[in-house]
Amino acid sequence: MKKYDLLTPEGTRDLIFDECAALRTVSEKLRGIYESHGYSEVITPGLEFFDVFNNKSRHYSQEVLYKLTDGKGRIMVLRPDSTMPIARLMGTRLRTAVLPLKLFYDQTIYRANPKESGRDDEFFQSGVELIGGDVMRSDMEVLSIAAEVMQSFDAAEQRFEIGDSGFFPLLSSKLGLKEQELDDLREYFISKNYPALDELLSRFAGSAEASALAKLSRLFGGKEVFAEAETVLPPEALPILQRLEKVFDSLCELGMSSEVTVDLGFAGKTEDYYTGIVFKGYIEGYGMPVLTGGRYDRLIADFGVDTPATGFAVNENAVAEALLKRSGGMLTPSPDVMIWADEDGIVKAIQHCKELTGQGKTVEYAGLADIGAAKEYALSRGMKALTIVTKNDITEEPLK
Amino acid sequence: MNGNKAIRIALTKGRLEKDTVGLFEKMGFDVTELKEKGRRLILNIPGENMEVVLAKAADVITYVELGACDIGVVGKDTILEHGGKYFEVADLGFGRCRFALATKKGLDFYGGVGVKTVATKYPNVTRHFFESKRMDVDIVKIEGSVELAPLLKIADGIVDIVETGTTLKENGLAVIEDVVPISARLIVNTVSMKLKKERIEQLTDLMLSQL
Repeated sequence: MKKYDLLTPEGTRDLIFDECAALRTVSEKLRGIYESHGYSEVITPGLEFFDVFNNKSRHYSQEVLYKLTDGKGRIMVLRPDSTMPIARLMGTRLRTAVLPLKLFYDQTIYRANPKESGRDDEFFQSGVELIGGDVMRSDMEVLSIAAEVMQSFDAAEQRFEIGDSGFFPLLSSKLGLKEQELDDLREYFISKNYPALDELLSRFAGSAEASALAKLSRLFGGKEVFAEAETVLPPEALPILQRLEKVFDSLCELGMSSEVTVDLGFAGKTEDYYTGIVFKGYIEGYGMPVLTGGRYDRLIADFGVDTPATGFAVNENAVAEALLKRSGGMLTPSPDVMIWADEDGIVKAIQHCKELTGQGKTVEYAGLADIGAAKEYALSRGMKALTIVTKNDITEEPLK
Repeated sequence: MNGNKAIRIALTKGRLEKDTVGLFEKMGFDVTELKEKGRRLILNIPGENMEVVLAKAADVITYVELGACDIGVVGKDTILEHGGKYFEVADLGFGRCRFALATKKGLDFYGGVGVKTVATKYPNVTRHFFESKRMDVDIVKIEGSVELAPLLKIADGIVDIVETGTTLKENGLAVIEDVVPISARLIVNTVSMKLKKERIEQLTDLMLSQL
């Protein structure tokens, strides 16, 4: 039998030293931003019942979930998302909470990616949820926090992209497509599969909605997109466009004009819970969005409390990876003092260490029997001197 | 947004590579390096700020999906089999062929109620095709010449790429149904599409105008 005792499962990895430091740096920075805006933390279980992730507004396909069963044979999953557990929490312990409620989380997410795709199956994700509250004000609050988060990454190049999940259902509903065709149309629209999109829509020559859908998928970029869209959208879709443009202008006014872009070719997948404005953040050097978010007004109703909400999530591992690349690796810092003790000096060394840490210094023991080996170890940790403790004496010896 | 950002394109080695290089030549690119590549796998197009990576078809998708390459030229066959998340922005028209279901000449594949066995190099395409027909089939993955499978009697039919049909004919097989047409596609990484929009749109338009 093959033993797997030296491997980590596919899509998982050990993080060591500067990888941890980078991840914690990102996590603390984000936490600071969330808290500065009055958001409170929740931690939800890593294990949930499968049913939490399988409801009307959103379902996860079986392939992406890590599943196991509990003692009663019920299907459990490793949390693939934090928003749905928070929606569950809203339907239970927080159902009488005063709204608007501002929550943040910072926890691991598990997704079973296709084999050998190079993607993480386990990653740290943090984000906020703003539950209840006026739609326009909440959208702007969460968008501006997301923008602040993106700016804090200090990436060489980044984009903050907004869109609206309302266009697609509004326009496609007029075409009278069967369910499978509608799924295909959505897939082509989202994946900017222009040849297939045009072919499917060619059946509806003369339909304003069909020609608008074909064009919307291609409409992304800067401010100019809105003027173009106005000429292709049927009147019933214009309010969505105007609302989006207002948000775009507001973000520019907030100093984001060089980063903010718009993509009108966004549509929620069948299993998505978004119902209004959606947004994504990209940084150079990472092939997927590092931040995704949007409005989800129907999800919490599936858990028994009908309230609108919006929020976003950040892939912390992705941001940490980019941070490490940029800084060329942050070495784990060497301690202020390193101590070696001979056999009779061990207790004295511990007392000395206590004294130094009490003064706020970082102290490490070179816990080896041989002093020559201890000196080598100290050198490898970047020390310039080694403090030697014997029963009666404490001396500092410079290292060459 | 800068219109002349560095861009990296992955080409599927072999026929699609030749066709794409021909297209680049028509577009006025300097393709000397691409034509005299030796064994190198990463090549430059001087004056275009463009790097060309040569890879196997499925790897083109992987590189584009992970953002190692901004765009890629790959057959629809590989896209259908491999899936993945990227934008599929243009049909380049060349590399045309089709997936087809073939059996021994004269066999009534759809007759009877027994579960049929189908041999293929493309199990996902095959599974999807029969799922859409609500048919249970056993799929056998073959790496080499799929035509052998019905001759050796391990399969009732095959799903494979068909160009002229000569190989089928010479082995006593015949196409009974087309599954899906195939041609070369231009795929784009979802982030590159946004970060290098102008550059990618210019290149795509130029490519399409010279087809």
